[in-house]
Amino acid sequence: MQLIKLNLQPDAKGSYVEVLERFVNLGPIVDFCVVDLERQGQGQVVTCSGAYKDGSLRIVRNGIGINEQASVELQGIKGMWSLRSSTDDLYDTFLVVSFISETRILAMNPDDELEETEIEGFYSQVQTLFCHDAVHNQLVQVTASSIRLVSSTSRELLNEWKAPSGFSVNVATANASQVLLATGGGHLVYLEIGDGVLTEVKQAQLEYEISCLDINPIGENPNYSQLAAVGMWTDISVKIFSLPGLDLVTKEHLGGEIIPRSVLLCAFEGVSYLLCALGDGHLFNFLLNMNTGELTNRKKVSLGTQPITLRTFSSKNTTHVFAASDRPTVIYSSNKKLLYSNVNLKEVSHMCPFNSAAFPDSLAIAKEGELTIGTIDDIQKLHIRSIPLGEYARRICHQEQSRTFAICSLKYNQSSTEESEMYFIRLLDDQTFEFISTYPLDTFEYGCSILSCSFSDDSNVYYCVGTAYVLPEENEPTKGRILVFIVEDGKLQLIAEKETKGAVYSLNAFNGKLLAAINQKIQLYKWMLRDDGSRELQSECGHHGHILALYVQTRGDFIVVGDLMKSISLLIYKIFWMHEEGAIEERARDYNANWMSAVEILDDDIYLGAENNFNLFTVRKNSEGTTDEERGRLEVVGEYHLGEFVNRFRHGSLVMRLPDSDVGQIPTVIFGTVNGVIGVIASLPHEQYIFLEKLQTNLVKIIKGVGGLSHEQWRSFNNEKKTADARNFLDGDLIESFLDLSRSRMEEISKAMCVSVEELCKRIEELTRLH
Amino acid sequence: MWKEVGDRETGKRRPYSFANRIRSDRIDSLNLSNYKEIVSVHRGAINTLQVFESVFRVFRVMSQASSSGSGSPELEGVFILATASGRKKLKDDIARIRDKYNIPESVYIHYLAKDSLANPFGETTVVYEQQLAADLRFPLDPLVEEVLRIVNLAHGQLHLTFCRFMSKVDLTEGRYLLSGASDGSAAIYDVQRATDHQEGGLIAKHKCIFVVDRQHEHGHKYAISSAIWYPVDTGLFITGSFDHCINVWDTNTTQVILNFKMPGKVYRTAMSSIATSHMLIAAGTEDVQVRLCDIASGAFTHTLSGHRDGVMTVEWSNSSEWVLVTGGCDGAIRFWDIRRAGCFLVLDQSHSQLGRRPPLLERSVTKVLASRSLPAGQSSFVKSRTPQRKTAFGNGAKQLPIYRVPSHTKGFMGQRLHPGMLSSGDRATAHYGAVTGLKVTGDGMYLLSAGSDSRLRLWDIESGCNTLVNFETVRLQTSKALQLAITQDSALVFVPCMTAVKAFDVWSGQTSLTFRGHYEYVNCCWFSSQDQELYTGGNDRQILVWSPSKSEADEVEEGSSKGKMSAMDQDNWSD
Repeated sequence: MQLIKLNLQPDAKGSYVEVLERFVNLGPIVDFCVVDLERQGQGQVVTCSGAYKDGSLRIVRNGIGINEQASVELQGIKGMWSLRSSTDDLYDTFLVVSFISETRILAMNPDDELEETEIEGFYSQVQTLFCHDAVHNQLVQVTASSIRLVSSTSRELLNEWKAPSGFSVNVATANASQVLLATGGGHLVYLEIGDGVLTEVKQAQLEYEISCLDINPIGENPNYSQLAAVGMWTDISVKIFSLPGLDLVTKEHLGGEIIPRSVLLCAFEGVSYLLCALGDGHLFNFLLNMNTGELTNRKKVSLGTQPITLRTFSSKNTTHVFAASDRPTVIYSSNKKLLYSNVNLKEVSHMCPFNSAAFPDSLAIAKEGELTIGTIDDIQKLHIRSIPLGEYARRICHQEQSRTFAICSLKYNQSSTEESEMYFIRLLDDQTFEFISTYPLDTFEYGCSILSCSFSDDSNVYYCVGTAYVLPEENEPTKGRILVFIVEDGKLQLIAEKETKGAVYSLNAFNGKLLAAINQKIQLYKWMLRDDGSRELQSECGHHGHILALYVQTRGDFIVVGDLMKSISLLIYKIFWMHEEGAIEERARDYNANWMSAVEILDDDIYLGAENNFNLFTVRKNSEGTTDEERGRLEVVGEYHLGEFVNRFRHGSLVMRLPDSDVGQIPTVIFGTVNGVIGVIASLPHEQYIFLEKLQTNLVKIIKGVGGLSHEQWRSFNNEKKTADARNFLDGDLIESFLDLSRSRMEEISKAMCVSVEELCKRIEELTRLH
Repeated sequence: MWKEVGDRETGKRRPYSFANRIRSDRIDSLNLSNYKEIVSVHRGAINTLQVFESVFRVFRVMSQASSSGSGSPELEGVFILATASGRKKLKDDIARIRDKYNIPESVYIHYLAKDSLANPFGETTVVYEQQLAADLRFPLDPLVEEVLRIVNLAHGQLHLTFCRFMSKVDLTEGRYLLSGASDGSAAIYDVQRATDHQEGGLIAKHKCIFVVDRQHEHGHKYAISSAIWYPVDTGLFITGSFDHCINVWDTNTTQVILNFKMPGKVYRTAMSSIATSHMLIAAGTEDVQVRLCDIASGAFTHTLSGHRDGVMTVEWSNSSEWVLVTGGCDGAIRFWDIRRAGCFLVLDQSHSQLGRRPPLLERSVTKVLASRSLPAGQSSFVKSRTPQRKTAFGNGAKQLPIYRVPSHTKGFMGQRLHPGMLSSGDRATAHYGAVTGLKVTGDGMYLLSAGSDSRLRLWDIESGCNTLVNFETVRLQTSKALQLAITQDSALVFVPCMTAVKAFDVWSGQTSLTFRGHYEYVNCCWFSSQDQELYTGGNDRQILVWSPSKSEADEVEEGSSKGKMSAMDQDNWSD
């Protein structure tokens, strides 16, 4: 999709059309799977998108990725700073890496390699607390005992400020023309940098020890800050001082017992903020008034569980903040709203921007005994990587054990005389996404389902593929196969095959057996060991009575079937006493005439379905019914008009789940639609549902739909037969739009809800972290 | 279906067109079902079949005029049935319902929050309006008794006039098949849920849920000629019989709750599926007059005179709840607007072009109809409560005056004659011989008629013209009312033709399918558009199911169902 502008005058190439923006469309999402490729507890969605020769796999990932350019093994990094060789230099030359008892300086050599070098004026036998480029081609280094001002051209020491004897510098910060440091005993020292001189301007004695400092210039002068932020031990507070006088402007108690570990003054989209990170992974943000130093609009979010170090960096000429911790996060702003996007790295202890000639716009990242230099993705929420296949992927499945994907794909051979189609089972490496093995299906044979599963009494993991023979003279496939493959040495090996009497629309693992939906029938296969040691699929039992059993999900002994046109039915597998073989019986059914497009099991009793008229609905198993009639009926409990044709539901989540937050406990289902929409359905706890429903009702009154269309009407379940108000479903987009409202409207809603605006914002922001 | 499913998934085929395509493919493959069987309990010819399918699922809160005649009826009480889980939402729900239906604070709302009273049928909350009659004609469900008890507590505030309480109604559509037979029996079958299976689960048997016959204390003595569902829900059904009676039955208690004595054998009954303001049963009998029986009051409200012989068939319009079409043994098809006296249109088989022969009477009459506003008797209250109804079909406004009036007919106003209509136009016939079957298309624009002259005719209702669609020659039964069926999109009409049922293309008249399976004459057919299944009943006492074929290959699966092979080869025609 493109946003284009039609110009009156042709451009250099003679085109009147100018592409302003491009958007990636994922449609049609025929199938997808949720995988955790990096094994970080965060899901990625891999979709089968596009059509025909433009078919591709798309990897949709939440959060920001770092593309590693270079890395060095370095243990115990305590801090990192990049320095330029002269003030006017465009690129950074030096990377100062500080360790517990030494400081090393790395620089880019002419061969574009990072090698250790020396800056004579720096004191390299101790840990560096802070480094910065200073005005007049100077560098400043702060160590526990002194501040050293060094010429960046001659690399010689120009001036040194020594800490008073008996005191050592604990924390320090600097910008191009100022240095602020704290020594033990709550002693704050402010210095200014001149040409070759360091001038101590002011000292102040605070009541408690200082835990962190910042004088990042966010005012008009990029080299000089009017304000200093100071985090305190003991009373757990943040103070804002004005410079150069070190006069206390504001004091904000943070509450709790966790000390602030990092403060940062920053500005996004012209709005100034104070960020303050705690030792337990929480982050406060405040709006900062640059003139009065006043802090307002306090908000608290949890980013991780470990102490956070905040650092600014810029990418694409915009400033962002990197919060290094066990869950590294990039903080950025969009529509004057702070957004948090996690970075796909496990644990980052330090980060600094390192914009060198060889690695432009890069970041240096210290993590787990390693120093990595890498570039960062565009700062946005979702990242989509496209892997063109040149053929039409129809089904996908991931196998964790072999670290592979298997896809059913369709290749069109278009010669001048005729068109031919050929189906393949392809095996892809889950890192490189290269084809590593291919199994061609027969002529006229179509792959229609794929599954990775294991069987009882067999430790191997197999790929099972269901196919259909689509013969030109037949209206409906009457023959198909189930193929069982094993991945050996990166190759697909056919282990067993079983002929079926129709198209295998769905395959599911079922208690160590294989459950297939073949045309009208549900069929269960056992995995049998033959006398010669080979394996085969043997049918055990089946169930008739569907028009087309297209979509099947299983849980325990229960089987949920989505029929072509007869809604959802619930089957149960029963093993009879003294019998080896069981039977599948119908337990309950939804008697409405919904034409299904996908089903999923939400929990033991609630099943989710999507139907042909772009609606979603949920049904509930009625186990407590008093009569057979009641028990045999799936009660419709939720209805909602989605407006999208859902092809697939999968359990999973695109975001990292923090175990300590409430939101982390909410189960979610991801869906993919023909139009390329990926969405999340979360099963909210009852009490939260009630709260949000009330909020939604109030929001509908305040937010008018585009063109005055009614939200209620749009979300009403609506098919050819009936229209019913949406129930037991909430519109997350609508609820989140609360955060975009003006303050006065928020207050209006808050009044109606009898809940404070802050509380509302907090609860909704929590919700936004579901996706 | 294989290809369509794949195309829908990739977005090549839009879901709507997908559903239509599948439906029409399935209809094309209709065949005697090899997996579904209805076990008929009737010991006589089956005369009538109907599967419950309501046009609107939106539950309407209906109000009957209060007996005191105090002008516009008022809503006096609302009862809510809660699901077992809904009890704690009591106050919220009441507030929501008040809000949604604009129920003023003065109206008493009671909430029945007894778990055993839970409505198990999918609707979490259903609003019932109760204006309970002091002289209840309806048998009481325990639930209703509970309501009455509560109402009695508030006696004096509530004026009790009428009670229609559906305690165990099922709003699922396409599930319950009602049949009536010549032995005086009527039975209900669940066509979705089989009672037992045969041939290893391959053949589903549907036995009847219950039957009411001559042994029943209020059962019909002679043949049931017509059995229809109450159009709103399955709580009631109506049977008409040759014993001159029309009975209204409560489905749950299988008791007769209303009985109408007719002047002759009842041939056909009908209720309007789109009516929101009346509950009238139109009855065609041996008598020349068509009578409308009101379920609400238990009395005849209308007697429509015009036919010169018995009335074989009656059918309500699909576009106006006031318009009734009747076909008589005199060969006439008459249109009635029940809000006014007399019939306003008589179809003439020789009238096939507009304007050639101006039918004066008809036009002057329709002028009146078009210019009339809604009658005063109709409550504004009902109107205001059902405004957001979305309809299944495109024609949302059901009350539109369907007869356009050319302006030049004004002059004929004065010539309007008595509804007895003695002019020549009134003697027009639609068929030579009796009209045996009528069916209005889904959009209410066309009417199909079958006559004892073995002709099928398609009429344009707006102009009253015979469209002259040439239906292929068939033989039709001459002495019995026939029940025709039509597909949802009005593409095919199913007509019982002696021992076979034929499906004709409505617009070309060509036979597209023929269903042979009955051993004797077929009397009735019903097409379930939900499942694309055809049910037929005939003199051989069988109810046959014609369903889209399933591939033979799927029938027999190896393994556990081995040995059932031989059974499969047996004739599965139920005889």
